[in-house]
This record gives sequence, structure tokens and C-alpha cells, in this order.
Amino acid sequence: MLLLAAALLPRLFWDAGPETAPALRQAGIEKIAVAAERVASWKGVLDVEAADPSRAIRLVAPSVDYRANQASASRTPWINANGWRIVRQPAGEFVYDVKGAQAALAAAEAFSWNANALIRTDAAGVGPLGEMLRLLKGVPAEDLAPVADFGFEDDGSATAGEVMNLFVKGNLLFRIVPRPDPALKMHVKLGTKEYPLEDAKNPVKIAQMARANLSDDRRSVRVYGSVVVVTRLLAARDRARLHLLNYAGAERRVDGIRVRVAGEYSKATVRPEMKILDFEKVDGGTEFTLPEIRTYVVVDLQK
Amino acid sequence: MPGLYPGQVVRVRSERSLDAESKKADRGVVRQMLAAGMKALTGDSNDLDGWRRFIVPQDVVGIKVNCSGAPQIFSSPEVVGAVAEKLVEAGVPASNIWVYERFENQVRTVPYAEFLPAGVQIWTAETSRGSILGYDSKVYVETTFFGEEDTRSNVARLITDKLTKIINVPNTKEHQASGVTGCLKNIAYGNFSNVARSHQREVTNTKTFIGTLAATEPVRSRVVLNVMDGLRGVWHQGPFSNEARFRFYPKLLMLGTDPVAMDRQLIELIEAKRKAEGAVSIFERARTTLGDNHDPNKNAFIREPGHVEYAAKLGLGVYDLERIRLKEIEL
Repeated sequence: MLLLAAALLPRLFWDAGPETAPALRQAGIEKIAVAAERVASWKGVLDVEAADPSRAIRLVAPSVDYRANQASASRTPWINANGWRIVRQPAGEFVYDVKGAQAALAAAEAFSWNANALIRTDAAGVGPLGEMLRLLKGVPAEDLAPVADFGFEDDGSATAGEVMNLFVKGNLLFRIVPRPDPALKMHVKLGTKEYPLEDAKNPVKIAQMARANLSDDRRSVRVYGSVVVVTRLLAARDRARLHLLNYAGAERRVDGIRVRVAGEYSKATVRPEMKILDFEKVDGGTEFTLPEIRTYVVVDLQK
Repeated sequence: MPGLYPGQVVRVRSERSLDAESKKADRGVVRQMLAAGMKALTGDSNDLDGWRRFIVPQDVVGIKVNCSGAPQIFSSPEVVGAVAEKLVEAGVPASNIWVYERFENQVRTVPYAEFLPAGVQIWTAETSRGSILGYDSKVYVETTFFGEEDTRSNVARLITDKLTKIINVPNTKEHQASGVTGCLKNIAYGNFSNVARSHQREVTNTKTFIGTLAATEPVRSRVVLNVMDGLRGVWHQGPFSNEARFRFYPKLLMLGTDPVAMDRQLIELIEAKRKAEGAVSIFERARTTLGDNHDPNKNAFIREPGHVEYAAKLGLGVYDLERIRLKEIEL
């Protein structure tokens, strides 16, 4: 399936009145969504549309819980991400309730997953959101398909949801399929001999088994240098687009990240603009280092 | 490694090396200890001739310090300064000498600059914790321990970009995960990124990982000499212990090119101290010893001091005490 990668821009859902228009304009926000009863008051002030967040699927605020003071089986921080929810209902309308700089990360996440999303935020979120929307608007539309290394049969259960969440956060690229797809490298279905339901009681185990069965060598994308960066890869024959989301967001910049993408590419364009380091073709893949990720970076690769 | 003198260790001890009250190191005595150690190791009557066996003026030399545990314990600036002075005397321009470590926030707590010849540089791989930019993206060891996403440990960029030789200056410390942290661990975990991933809960993969990293080129061939700073030590809760009761003062330096033989001696030193304090051996593997390490008989991990013997199997040196030639000097 091909899709227009830059087609959907998230929209600010705004509760305040037209007196706040100057602040929105200053942040570069030209279009907003408001409750139906407020549309009239905003007419002629900004480009406005009616929306009802109560009918939208609520997403969690994208973030990282470090849980430093909590004993756990893993040093890996917990990422609050929504990719799996969007994949499960790609035609859904979503809403984020986020504060401050989280609005920027929410917008970037929605954009990366091509979600139809409203971002409801506070006054402190308007600036970061406006800045992110400016960046996202500058990403050219491309006909690219999401890259998947394996198929997953989603039975709609909470367990399957959590397994998909772990796939997303672990940068394990999958596609929901109704049956095994011979075009993919492997197939994952809960309740089979390879992925027993008993094991699925611990979804981490399923994600680890899937990763082991796929093997890191066959993965289309790898990330080195951060445990809080989640990617989404789209590609066509001669080009690819990699979205990189830093779930620690503006609170904690990622200083340097190494990425490996399957396929040999010759050229990379990075937004926001930065110098790409140590770009090279290695063993059928392309590797490069990004000097930093504040909240979001998108890399366009060309063969 | 194991370099010019496999299986040989020189241990130089001086009661005068630390002030009895303040525990401050005496620079003059440290210089004497270093000179005596070098002469004993190489057999040269002039210690500078000894240094010239390892270093030529054209070299770019790294002095790998250990600041895990700073500001409580670290490679003493008196020792590091004395090493740098000898390199300059041997003809290496000060600007071609780099004192280096992984974490800037640790190094910042130690006044190295005050003890170094003018022009010697101080470098850290991680000016912000976790940054990969100070590491070489092309030289790494790749493995997985607990299903972590980042499976690479990259070597510090300074080593691949600049250094032709490394003088390794570790401390005499017990380590909660690896049993001891001496020459091998300072070479391995001190020169590569993303190594803490080898520990989880009570399990640590230090047994194999330390030797594997230390044996990786170009690190293995760059390390030409080890000067173990045993003026001060940690016998429990290492390397970060804040508790003074777990520090001790061996007042010694060890010199050698064989990191395995030297760490074997370190094991003996730590074990003797722990025995004297009534603490269990670092080789203890009973799960009943897992727990709050404020008790010297408890530890967070099952320690892996076997990493030293494992490194010997990789050809990094001599582990068997019977085959190690130990020269002891008292000043």
C-alpha cells in the first residue's frame, strides 16, 4: 500500500477563545480545531474547523518514565508511545491531551505514523507545537510504503496490543496481516507453537522471541546509542524516509545516535538541518550518525 | 598485551608514599617508586632507558586513568603526573600526551591539570553522559546480553584517531560485578561505550566481556604498560563506595606489561584484605550472599573475578601464580 507520507498534519485543538489568537499566530499556528459551538467565534480570526475530541481515540502523552527509584528487571526506561494504537486503527481519529513541550513530540509522533490527530494542549504547549508544525510542513510529500520485516496477526486482544507496543518501541518493523504474507521475512501469531499463549502472559518474551527469530541481521532498521528513540521507516524502490522520535523530548536531548538502515543509499537529507556524520555503506546497509535529536528528526535517503 | 614482559609483575611499596594523617600522596616518593619499579621491570640501571623500551618521541601517548569512584578514589594525580613527566623526559612532546577517561563529570573532580607538565591534554569520551559521539562508529564489539536494543560497544575515538601507545593506570579496587577492577577492566570497560548493559539484577557478564573487549584491536596492541596505582584501594562496595570503612591504603605501585598477571596479584591483595576484615571471598557464589552491600558479606551481584583467568585464555597474559614472577621492592 502506498500512502502520501506527508499528507496528514496534526491539528491543534484549542479550548480558549479568539482573544488568544495573537499568541497562536506568534507561534505560527494558522489552523485550529475547536468545539462546534466555538467555531462561529473564531470565524475570520484563524482558519478553523469543528472537532469533537470526545469521539476521538485518546492517546497517551508520549514520554519516558525512567523509574530510577523503582526496582525492575530491566535498566531500560519505559517509553509511553502510541504507534501500536495507530497501526491497529489506521483510519481512526485520535486525540492527545498534552502539556508544554510534549505537544511537539505528540505532533511528531502523529505525523510519523500518519495519524489523523488532534493535539489538545495548554498555553505552554503552543510555542513548541507551532515550531514542530513548521518543521513538519517542510517535509515534502512522498509516495512511500511503511517497511515491515514481519507480519503480525492481531487478534484484537490487550495482549496482542501490548506485543505490538513492544515491537514499535523495540524498532521491530511489522505489519498487521490476516494471514502469513510470503513477501515478509516471517510471521508472528500468538497461540502458535512458536509463540504460545502461555509465553504471551509476558509480552516482553514474545517481542524478544520475535526479534531472535527474525535476527538483528535481517532487521531493516537498527538504532545504537539511545534506548528512547523510536523509528518509523518508509520506502520505495530508490528512496526511504526514516522518522526518529526522541521520547525523552526536549527534556533530554539525545547526543549522538547511530542508525543502520537496510539497503545501500548514497545521499541523505536531514530535517531539521544538521551535519550527518560517518555516513557509509556497510554490508548491504547504510549507516550514519546524527549528532543530536532534540525531539524529532526525519532523514530522507536516496539511492 | 601481554607485551614485553609476560608473567612479570613488579610491586613497589613505600610507607612514606602517603601521609599517615591526611592520606595525601608524596609526589617525590611516588616518583622514586615509579623509577624503582621501571628499573626492576626492565633491568635497566636508568629508569628513563626503561621508558624508552615502550615509547619513542614520535608516539602519541594516552594515559588511561580510572575515575570510577571519584572523588573518593581515582588514579592519583601524583602517579599520573609522574608518568607524564617520564614521557616528556623520554622525548614525547607534552601536546602528544593525553590523559583520558570516559566520563567528564568524574574527571572534573580530580585535579589532574595541577600535576601534569604544561601542554598535556585531558580528554573524555562522554562530555554528556551516554553520548556516542566520542566513540568510533566503525570499531566496536557487538553482542547481546539481556535483549538490549543497542548491541554495540564502540572504542573511544581518541584511540583510533590519535593514540599510538597507551599507558594504563588503574587502581586497586574490588568491584561489585567483576570481583576486582584492575588493569583488564580499565582497558575494557574504560575504553568502550555501552558496557554497563552487561549487568542486570544479580547477573553480570563481565567474565567474558572484559577479556573480549581488552583483546580487541587496536586497544590490545596500543596498551604497552600498566602502572597500577595502589596507594589507596577499595576492598568492598567498589568501585563507587562512599564509605570510608571500605577503603584501605596498600601504599604500593605495581608495574608490568601483562594485565592478567597484575590483576592476579590484585585478586590476592583484595582477598587478603577481605579475609583480614572477615568478609567473604570475591569468588563466593552462594545466593545467600546477595543483598545490601553495606554488609561486607553481601553484594548486589554474583561477582565474576574469573574474568582474569578468562582473559588469560584469550592470550592476554599469565594467570597461574606459579608462573608469575613477582619482584617486590620496599622503599
